[in-house]
Amino acid sequence: MEIVESPVHEEARRRAQEEALEALVDQYATTLYRVAFSVLRNQSDAEDAVQEAFLRVLRHRETLGEIRDHRVWLIRIVWNIVLDRKRRAKTRPETDDITEVARVLPANGLSAEQRAAAAQHHAHVLACVEKLPAREREVMMLSAFEELSSVEIAAVLEVTESSVRSRLFRARNLLADLLSHPRSIR
Amino acid sequence: MNFSPQNDLDRNAATIDAERSLRLIASLPAPVGIEDRVKDGLRGVPVQTGVIGWPLSPPNRVGWAKVSYMRAAAAAAIVFVVAGGGWGVCKHFGAAPGPAADSVPQRIDGGGGLSAAGAKRTPKTVEGPSVAIPKTVRQETGAGGVSTQKRAHGASRQDRKNRPLAPSPAPVVR
Repeated sequence: MEIVESPVHEEARRRAQEEALEALVDQYATTLYRVAFSVLRNQSDAEDAVQEAFLRVLRHRETLGEIRDHRVWLIRIVWNIVLDRKRRAKTRPETDDITEVARVLPANGLSAEQRAAAAQHHAHVLACVEKLPAREREVMMLSAFEELSSVEIAAVLEVTESSVRSRLFRARNLLADLLSHPRSIR
Repeated sequence: MNFSPQNDLDRNAATIDAERSLRLIASLPAPVGIEDRVKDGLRGVPVQTGVIGWPLSPPNRVGWAKVSYMRAAAAAAIVFVVAGGGWGVCKHFGAAPGPAADSVPQRIDGGGGLSAAGAKRTPKTVEGPSVAIPKTVRQETGAGGVSTQKRAHGASRQDRKNRPLAPSPAPVVR
């Protein structure tokens, strides 16, 4: 039996794909933004990365039905985008991180000095994380997202779950060394 | 390095504190309206569905059939042009002439796959009739223990001593 692709069907299919894509944007845009911001540490860059990720999804929207876990799939897309951008961009100085983190930190009744101190501390931690080897750093940053299990982190990084655990263990040890010897990161 | 329990506790506390910072940064709220901005950005992008878009859109079933025929006709035209071009080239240049003579040298039977390296094969000669050695020479060789050649060589030297000097040839005057 011949299946005829009528314009009505085509239009309906296109409409369904658009709606599916919009639903994905509504559901995962903020998650993707947070993933992007944790690496790029810049609001506009992170938003651009999210936009680019959904553009890639739009280009491959025919395959949307084949994806089992949209969340992990989208995080993997945005993760690759931000790593690529990070590789191309210069290393951000710590002062930029302090400024950006202080700007986006929630106030929570803190005074201006307390906020500045907190931002400085977070920027220092981020600088230490930057000193970690790439594999350990990536696992460390993804593990900070509480909604991601080790299985999902493994799926994002395309490695085994045991690799994720061993890398996380090494990352914690290295980070502890770096934090206890602050001079070693300068 | 000092691995005291206090040091371990400090290290753990520092790591926990660092992870808390990472979690805080990871949980920072996204800017308001990011979803709408992303959607707006997606709406403005022209989407190309196929690798090569067909310029004529089929309005109905008849139109679809027409487009299908046009595609077949276009494919046939491409095949015709390619085949015609190939035939034209063959006709213009003709087939390549074969070699006038067999240029491959005749192989010398060298045995095996190795070359003869320029060596010439010498045919085996047929054994001829055996020459009878004179009796006197045979006796001398057998009894005296000295070779006939040596004897002859010694004799010739003696003869040369006793021989009168021969007149030297006259110089050639040109």
